[in-house]
Amino acid sequence: MTTTTIALLLLGFGLIAWLAGRAKARAFLGPDRARPHSLPSYHGWYAALFAAVPAIVFLVVWGQVSGGLIYQQVMASPQATALPSFAMQRSAILGEAYALATGAATAAFNPQARALAPVYAQAISFYAWIGLAVAALIAFAGGAFAYTRISPAFRARTRVERMVMGLLLGASLIAVLTTLGIVVSLLFESLRFFGFVSPLEFLTGLKWSPQMAIRADQAGSSGAFGAIPLFWGTIFIGAIIAMIVAIPLGLMSAIYLTQYASPRLRAWMKPLLEILAGVPTVVYGYFAALTVAPAIRDLGLSLGIPASSESALAAGLVMGIMIIPFVSSMADDSLAAVPQAMRDGSLAMGATRSETIKKVLVPAALPGVVGGVLLAVSRAIGETMIVVMAAGLAANLTANPFASVTTVTTQIVQLLTGDQEFDSPKTLAAFALGLVLFLITLTLNIVALRVVKKYREAYE
Amino acid sequence: MSDPTLEAAAGPAPTDWSGSAIQRRIRRRYAAERRFRLAGLAAILISAGFLAFLLGNMLMNGLGGFVENGGIDWGFFTGADATEPVRVGIWGAFKGSLLTMIVTLLLAFPVGVLSAVYLEEYAPRNRWTDMIEVSINNLAAVPSIIFGLLGLAVFLNTWHLPRSAPLVGGLTLALMTMPVIVIAGRNAIKAVPPSIRDAALGIGASRIQVVFHHVLPLALPGILTGTIIGMARALGETAPLLMIGMRAFIAAPPGGFEQPATALPVQIFLWSDEVSRGFVEKTSAAIIVLLVFLLAMNGIAIYLRNKFEKRW
Repeated sequence: MTTTTIALLLLGFGLIAWLAGRAKARAFLGPDRARPHSLPSYHGWYAALFAAVPAIVFLVVWGQVSGGLIYQQVMASPQATALPSFAMQRSAILGEAYALATGAATAAFNPQARALAPVYAQAISFYAWIGLAVAALIAFAGGAFAYTRISPAFRARTRVERMVMGLLLGASLIAVLTTLGIVVSLLFESLRFFGFVSPLEFLTGLKWSPQMAIRADQAGSSGAFGAIPLFWGTIFIGAIIAMIVAIPLGLMSAIYLTQYASPRLRAWMKPLLEILAGVPTVVYGYFAALTVAPAIRDLGLSLGIPASSESALAAGLVMGIMIIPFVSSMADDSLAAVPQAMRDGSLAMGATRSETIKKVLVPAALPGVVGGVLLAVSRAIGETMIVVMAAGLAANLTANPFASVTTVTTQIVQLLTGDQEFDSPKTLAAFALGLVLFLITLTLNIVALRVVKKYREAYE
Repeated sequence: MSDPTLEAAAGPAPTDWSGSAIQRRIRRRYAAERRFRLAGLAAILISAGFLAFLLGNMLMNGLGGFVENGGIDWGFFTGADATEPVRVGIWGAFKGSLLTMIVTLLLAFPVGVLSAVYLEEYAPRNRWTDMIEVSINNLAAVPSIIFGLLGLAVFLNTWHLPRSAPLVGGLTLALMTMPVIVIAGRNAIKAVPPSIRDAALGIGASRIQVVFHHVLPLALPGILTGTIIGMARALGETAPLLMIGMRAFIAAPPGGFEQPATALPVQIFLWSDEVSRGFVEKTSAAIIVLLVFLLAMNGIAIYLRNKFEKRW
């Protein structure tokens, strides 16, 4: 029984209920009968909702509960007595047996897993059938209950609309749940990480080498989790190099497009800039690694500066280009929001257009531009693929743009890829880094939106 | 005119525009004006030139990836990942992307539209609504990799959904795309004039009927435009999919939503790590395919916006 079949089955149930409810309500219609409160289709919807919704709710709950029940039944079976008591080994065997039973794997490594697979398959299908039978019963009972309530005086429309309102509220609560999910999962895993490494060491340490030795007596077995080099790398690439590229180019593009360009040029160039924003970051990363980074290394070497093949400058330059459309559209908005009277006043005093822009428009639009730059910084430091592909992995604390630095996002990817035991400080460190990243981008966004909003109010 | 008080009020004598000093000054100011204007043009041209260079570079590197022995390499369009650059294909990754996008669309579109309707039409002005609005606006700005961490911690480690599956990838990307659809949907709904609502209410429609029969159909083009743009962004997204393990070597196209799969951008990332020279061609070729799809989606969105945009 796949999820798709069950969903189709429930949809079929709903359709039958809808047709039955509507047919019953239609029978009320007629010249000499009482005028019903709601249209027949509302009666149909009422029946369909009553048939489908409780069954869906039950299936969701059952999906959560049945996993534990299946596990209990498998563990109670005679084949399970031979399982090793060591939890990690046992869960590996059980996982293998599960994959075998569901058809995700065709052959198992472990003979115990092979013996357990039929038991697992049996338990899974047993509980799946129970769930399906109960769901069908609930759907039928709900549909029948709704069907019996249908009468000319029954306010089906009001009921259906109340349920639709519930649905709307539920949909908008998903955003809150997602935010909550992010905060809780990051906090939870970070707290576990801070059980291994003190927060003070994490936030102020200067050495980052998360490699944990396999044996405890090896050299450097503990790993060092001082995140300052990562923070510096992130700021160096995202907030310094990228912004040196993006702010002048973005601001000047916005000024040219809004103040000088003919409408035709504007109609062509604006979508072109938007394309720059729509290119996937993995493409920028590939371009940075393949084309920009070697050129920068050669440049650095010819200048006599120690340069590595993965440099902060290559990643920062390409990231700056990626951010241009972002800065430009924010600047565009804030320039357009400056009242025409200010521009006219300045021009009437004899200022040239560039003087008007430099002395009147940009200062007036500055809060909006600053807000836009803050948003751009928050986007740049959260950007992952460019730095993963072009910035390197060495956690250097250097101001040499030709050297390799690493960033928070690079390390998150690095720590979480590959087969890792989930409970080691190495993987948990990724969540602590994620928490820091989340808090910083959140703060930047809130401050930026405040600034932009305040500024808008000033001119309204 | 000989009244001395009047003459004092008129201030200094009028500027002598023919003097050489003032002419120099005007020339200097006009030169500055031209320089500024040129700087603006240069900024635009640098951005556009970079885009052209990027696209040209990809085309030059990638066109070789489509050809084999003088003919079009159909194996590239029908195959999946392989260890040899001549035998790799993008269909496996493309199908993975397709399955992921289906899940994303099925989840993000209804939830996004319904939230937009609720917030714009029914939500009471209170603290709860403020909280929903704040979380949607913040989610739109959260770095994508954080969604990957959420997917890893919740979908994989708490709900035990299958690793590397399009189902999980789609769920993660849906959470990321939903705020985009909500924001676009709210703007589209806001643009429908209140007179439409008043007229429908006036002839006895209920509040739900007003929205679902009248406001939503009028707002639909705007909502669809926002949805396509959000989906295009999700299609190009790599980092969250890396977090939930869609980076495995998978030599056969995925058979279903719960089978291990990879996605087109992730495939590009994986190939870019290969040292073999043949992979440079294939990576660029895959990038061309991805860019063609993204440009097509954005083109459709712009077309929809221009065709159905109504000025009330």
